[in-house]
Amino acid sequence: MLERVPAIAIKETRELLRDPIYLGLAFVIPMIMILLFGFGLILDIKHLPVAFVDHDGSPWSRDYRDRFVHSEYFDLVGVLDSRSEVEEWMRTGRARVIIDLPPEFGRDLARGRPVAVGVTVDGSFPSRAAIITGYVNAINALYNQQLLTDLAARRGLAATSLLPVQANLSVWYNPTLESKNAVVPGLLVLILMLFPALLGALLIVREKETGTIFNLYASPTGRLEIILGKLLPYLAVAMLDYFLIFAVSRWIFEVRFTGSFFVLTAGAVLYSVCTIGIGLLISVLMRSQLAAMFTTLMVTMTTAFNYSGFITPVASMDAVGQFIAQLIPATHFMTVVRGSYLKGFGIDYYWPQLGALVLYTLVVYSAAWLFLRKRIG
Amino acid sequence: MRGRLLAMLLKEFRQLGADWPIVLILLWGFFGAVYIAGHAGAVDLSNYPVVVLDLSHSNESRELVSRLRAPYFKIVRMVHSDREVVETLDAARASLAVIIPPTFARDVQESRGRFQVISDGTQAQMAILAAAYIAQIAGQYGIELLERRSGPVLEQLASLPQVDARVRIEFNPSINVAWFSSLFELFNMITMTSLLLTAAALVREKEHGTLEQLLVSPLRPAELFAAKIIPTVIVVLLLSPLSLYAIVHGVHGTPLRGSVLLFYAVTSLYVFSIASLGLALAVIARNLPQAMMLMFLTLWPMMFLSGAMSPPESMMPWMQYLSLLSPMRYYIDLGFQVLFKGNGFAYVWQDILGILVLGSGLFAFAVWRFRRLL
Repeated sequence: MLERVPAIAIKETRELLRDPIYLGLAFVIPMIMILLFGFGLILDIKHLPVAFVDHDGSPWSRDYRDRFVHSEYFDLVGVLDSRSEVEEWMRTGRARVIIDLPPEFGRDLARGRPVAVGVTVDGSFPSRAAIITGYVNAINALYNQQLLTDLAARRGLAATSLLPVQANLSVWYNPTLESKNAVVPGLLVLILMLFPALLGALLIVREKETGTIFNLYASPTGRLEIILGKLLPYLAVAMLDYFLIFAVSRWIFEVRFTGSFFVLTAGAVLYSVCTIGIGLLISVLMRSQLAAMFTTLMVTMTTAFNYSGFITPVASMDAVGQFIAQLIPATHFMTVVRGSYLKGFGIDYYWPQLGALVLYTLVVYSAAWLFLRKRIG
Repeated sequence: MRGRLLAMLLKEFRQLGADWPIVLILLWGFFGAVYIAGHAGAVDLSNYPVVVLDLSHSNESRELVSRLRAPYFKIVRMVHSDREVVETLDAARASLAVIIPPTFARDVQESRGRFQVISDGTQAQMAILAAAYIAQIAGQYGIELLERRSGPVLEQLASLPQVDARVRIEFNPSINVAWFSSLFELFNMITMTSLLLTAAALVREKEHGTLEQLLVSPLRPAELFAAKIIPTVIVVLLLSPLSLYAIVHGVHGTPLRGSVLLFYAVTSLYVFSIASLGLALAVIARNLPQAMMLMFLTLWPMMFLSGAMSPPESMMPWMQYLSLLSPMRYYIDLGFQVLFKGNGFAYVWQDILGILVLGSGLFAFAVWRFRRLL
């Protein structure tokens, strides 16, 4: 009953090959995405413009300022004379953080008393604001630690006696805490979600628009044959994209890879079948290529980016977020990808994820099969 | 000429209305997607999942654990063995493990209390933040212990020299991510709609062969292009204020501090700019699949370089220069400045100039390429 699948697959392949611009872009765009997003997102956030209002001007305040200025995270853009300039600098965005040192700064610290400094952060982009706050707190904490050890030394005490509780930190899976190890595998998940889905989304609706779908309707070709025949060439494209992205991740970004390439590839095949299927389903449901393209973008991009665990861990989302996360295939493939790259587990660990992908695939293709019939009948 | 343009416009609207899924998607995009985006995950550490192995069972260890609290941390499991810690981390049910040794209480008394923290590094940025907060919590706990104690150490010290950094977040005091993400999603929707609707409207004529008919008609290229752009501008200008007031401001409570009128004046200019980009791509492409590829070739880098996904200050210089070519960069900057910070024309005229120059250039390019087709 599936003997016409090769015929359809060959026809689709011919059509793909006849349009070298389209086919070429199907490889070029994922490459551009991984390189641009990769190099962009793995950037540690540095060179944030900082300004100071220094009412003190003592060696103490200069020392404190230097902690920020000499760190690679901040670039000094100015030392302001008065509070009134602060608002203007915040508005124009010339400085993203302004630190206000009070006149008693040096005097109080010299006398062993606590002192407060005012830190104003530009909150227009929350991620940047959170990162700036984190950096300020970290630099401030180091400075405080230095104050305490200096004090202990002056009093002839052991340096640690003023730090009764300390955390010994060790990092697993990505010991050097390089963001590329987190970001680049995540991008593999996002690109293999977006791209195959978009390719699949045009497949059937295109025939509807040009009218060639009636040739298929009138032919004895079964629905499953149509779907599988259209799937195969695009699965080949998606897998080539996968190998290219994998190669870039290993040899350009030099991401650690500790797991099994076989498991990852098996996951990628399943996941690509699934994401092409999402596109196909949308293609079956829509009337115009524009509508199919738009819907696919809406369905895949926002959800995969926000809920797959790419940025925030799924476990820290609220109940609704965790529910959405479980519903999208990207979350399950993300576990396989992160695990394969960084955690080095074998296939035993991934049965639930692979199972979820299989289930998802079955549902998507059954739905596509079901709705395609309505049009024929 | 006015009659020709009007007739063409009517035809475009009729076509758009006939494709009812498009109408539904536009409604979903401007309302549903903008609503959902406001609910997406946080950027700061929030409810970071922690597993705790407390071997000390002392007041000291319990006090330490009680400090791992919302909004930053959420204790998902208390376990009793190393094996369980490993399992929880492996399964990513927790991203941080805190292990308190049996001798913790005595060690703390002797000022050498140490506990073990294992961090899951797969999400590096979050792991770094978590480590910073843990160190802060440990330090703060230590300071409070010292202050409580009346040992020989502190008798000489009335208080400790410490700098207290009081952070105030301007424009968004509680780092409410929804304020930002819903607005950014609206800007994304405006961009996508402007690009896709316009490009598809022109490519469709190519695919159906009706472009030749238009070419032999008295319609001039600029008129044809205007007829493709104006419906997009109208659609966006109808939907986006509704979305801005109902969802971004109404549901998510994003403050609108500046002149919404100025924002919409520039938005129509921006839609013209992006629609011109769509036309330029549609003129180059032979069919819609090709046009789609070309759109994404431009759309994704534009979104990425817009400055909203990673801070423009930290981008490599070549990226910063490249972003000057993207109308979206100016629009994002202007949108947040005007709506969020309440800045007026004097602050954003450069952005307006950028949108205008790029838009006119793209429109001229599209007309020029189109003439060469004739």
